[in-house]
Amino acid sequence: MNNIIIGQYVPGDSFLYKMDPRSKIVALILLMVSTFILQNVFHILVMLSLVLILLWAGGIPIGRIIRGLRPIMILLTFTFTFQILFVETGSLLYTLPLTISVYNLLIAIALVVLYVLTRKRVRFRLFYFLAYVAGILALFNLFAPGDVLTSPVINVYSDGVRGAFYIMIRLVIIVTLSTILTLTTKPTDLTLGLEQLLKPLSLIKISAEEIALIISIALRYIPTLLDEANKIMLAQASRGVDFTEGKLKDKIMQIISLLVPMFIISFKRSDELANAMEARNFVPGQYRTRLHVLSWQWIDTVVVITSTLFIAGSIVVVILT
Amino acid sequence: MAIKFEQVSYDYVGVDQTRYRAISNITLDIAETGEFITLIGETGSGKSTLVQHMNALMRPTEGEVTVYGVKIYKDVKKKNKNVKLNPLRQKVGLVFQFPEYQLFEETVERDIMFGPKNFGVSDADAKVRARQALQAVGLDASYLERSPFNLSGGEKKRVSIAGILAMEPDILVLDEPTSGLDPKGREALLKLFTEIHRNLNKTVIIITHDMNTVYEYASRVLVMNKSELVFDGTPDELFLTGDFGSWNLETPDMIDLTRKLETKLGVTFHRLPKTVEDLHAMVLEVLS
Amino acid sequence: MNIIEIRDLHFHYVEQEQVLEDINLTIEKGEWVSVLGHNGSGKSTLSQLIIGLLKADQGEIIVDGLTLNEDTVYDIRKKIGIVFQNPDNQFVGVTVEDDIAFGMENLCFPREEIIRRIDEYSKRVRMNEYLKKEPHNLSGGQKQRVAIAGILAMNTDIIIFDEATSMLDPKGRDEILDYIKEINAQGVTVITITHDMKEAIHSDKIVILKEGKILKVGTPKEVLNDKATLNASNLELLLPLKLMYQLEESKIDNPDLKDYLWQLSLNR
Repeated sequence: MNNIIIGQYVPGDSFLYKMDPRSKIVALILLMVSTFILQNVFHILVMLSLVLILLWAGGIPIGRIIRGLRPIMILLTFTFTFQILFVETGSLLYTLPLTISVYNLLIAIALVVLYVLTRKRVRFRLFYFLAYVAGILALFNLFAPGDVLTSPVINVYSDGVRGAFYIMIRLVIIVTLSTILTLTTKPTDLTLGLEQLLKPLSLIKISAEEIALIISIALRYIPTLLDEANKIMLAQASRGVDFTEGKLKDKIMQIISLLVPMFIISFKRSDELANAMEARNFVPGQYRTRLHVLSWQWIDTVVVITSTLFIAGSIVVVILT
Repeated sequence: MAIKFEQVSYDYVGVDQTRYRAISNITLDIAETGEFITLIGETGSGKSTLVQHMNALMRPTEGEVTVYGVKIYKDVKKKNKNVKLNPLRQKVGLVFQFPEYQLFEETVERDIMFGPKNFGVSDADAKVRARQALQAVGLDASYLERSPFNLSGGEKKRVSIAGILAMEPDILVLDEPTSGLDPKGREALLKLFTEIHRNLNKTVIIITHDMNTVYEYASRVLVMNKSELVFDGTPDELFLTGDFGSWNLETPDMIDLTRKLETKLGVTFHRLPKTVEDLHAMVLEVLS
Repeated sequence: MNIIEIRDLHFHYVEQEQVLEDINLTIEKGEWVSVLGHNGSGKSTLSQLIIGLLKADQGEIIVDGLTLNEDTVYDIRKKIGIVFQNPDNQFVGVTVEDDIAFGMENLCFPREEIIRRIDEYSKRVRMNEYLKKEPHNLSGGQKQRVAIAGILAMNTDIIIFDEATSMLDPKGRDEILDYIKEINAQGVTVITITHDMKEAIHSDKIVILKEGKILKVGTPKEVLNDKATLNASNLELLLPLKLMYQLEESKIDNPDLKDYLWQLSLNR
């Protein structure tokens, strides 16, 4: 369990690494807002290419970003399908008549079974999935022997395509931007940056410093807790806890047997940690000097100004068009 | 043989695909009865990984472990759909270092009953076993209704051991059972393990850092050093002839004192004492 | 000069029996005192009372002239550092350098001074090559060394080691013990709380606690001479001492051997 990486930080030395986390966070927020302000296909594509240039200039391997996109792939596919199928405004672009008969339905079911059985052995799963979807649609469209059961029609409208496209590109831009931030900023710096930016909250009696301390302690204990959870699982497995078999009632008991020790150990831990912190003169709410300070450089000013100009430009463009 | 290791290695794989070999090429036999084994070695030498192979919590990366006739190897679950690993955990009872990892029920009794019930023992039988196990670890019946969380460290440890004993395993494995206990608590627990070993005729395996335990109690010692099993023999062989200095092991107090007395008194004792009474008798013999 | 004075101290947890009873103890500046007792003797409670993490039912604690109360507790904590038992539960920082800095940050040391001291004290405990490491990549002994560096860096007059070695392997334990000796030799008052006679024997003064009461206070020599107290204390005797007692019982008169065993017991 020695290899758990906190956050996604990957060491590097491009200009993105030398920037102040505050300017990175501010720029991220400004650019994200711009993405939502822009309403024109061309503008959004410009935005996307800018993000790609940023990736290239920052020396960030594209593979990392794709890995960051992977968790939202399912979400993307669903919204895409939903938009295409159910939006019925705008001009009709394409009509796909389908004929479902007993025979091609059976073939389709066989294909689905084949897909389920084989998908784990395939390297490019998304393409594999799309190939099957296309195959089944083609099947229904072209090959329909025997009695016809029903014949639905898929109508694709321009607004649906546009909406699907917008959502996809926006999500990709947002995920890419935030991945850039987490890849190039240490969690400690990120927390510190957040703390500084949240300082104004003290006006409404919320201490940014305490929030930051909570985040950093949480970060520090995540690997410890994961390691402990693993050990508790092994200890209970030694007492016959087996999740692969057993009745529902037993399973609930087995989950409790994992959760209770986790909670009890965590409470004891936080109690001892609080003592250790107090013993080292920590007084909540009191001023502390800091080992880590942030240094604002010319590049940070440039980045913040550029992103401010960008969002201003976006607003102007939207109003004008 | 109850447990058989054949050229077993295990690699931990990190998220970035780096590999760390925790145990390497281990070959080992453990009998079902009659052994009192101590497993020693520096922190990080692979002791815990080794014992977690004994009840199939871990599966070898290379080689094969046979536990009560069941062969365990890499991907055993995929290649042999009929294999059941869970029953092996009843045969080889493993007690983890911290009792806090396993105690979770409202009462001591129900906590001890948890293991047996997972293995299909009826409520009534599990109750009987809980009483017996509690007695075996030297706690009286008044503990049955107490909460396991309001006990002292030593008592928690005993309850966690009772929880495993109630499963009626043939082999009892304990990961650093005496760490953090004071000397009296440690001695009491070791006496308990000796009794379990003798009276219930079970093989007991203990991971420890305490060389005095090894020397006084063990019938067999396994030494792990840098992921490899470097010694398998009796304590006397280890401390008389073994290369234990280079494995960063300490000399047991008894041997240390005996050697010093030999120098001081200018004599050579012909055997090594196990207890202070032994040593006392040997000194008396020399002096008179 | 007495740096810690404890007078007539009583303590019990809510709805529990007495944990500490009638504790009277003085500790001199620069002294190394070990508080020796079995599990549950109340020895760790004592350290938490001294720095005001717990509040006594009755009695007085005076640290360097200050009587412990709500107003002085923060000043007293500045004079005392504690290394606790569990290496994992006192590591506050995300990395080694953050953890060493934590106490100094709370004391509002200037940043340059913090950086200088991180360098100095991480070298003292040979952790200077690990400054950017995260705690889950360190062994228990290494984490305890980081804790020691963090406390040394705060420059406290007194350091309490509250069973700081009991969760470590022999190698880690010996290392920490060496640091304790070194720290004490440099004039810091040290209190070690332990159940290990082997560890206590190195100190200047031993306090034996049993069931919340002080059984004996004395130098290691005085303590080892008090056979009755040792038997009553429930503590494990050192092997040479056991042998010596047995030889005494068999009426063996060999002063030379006896003296030798005595010296061995005192680890000289």
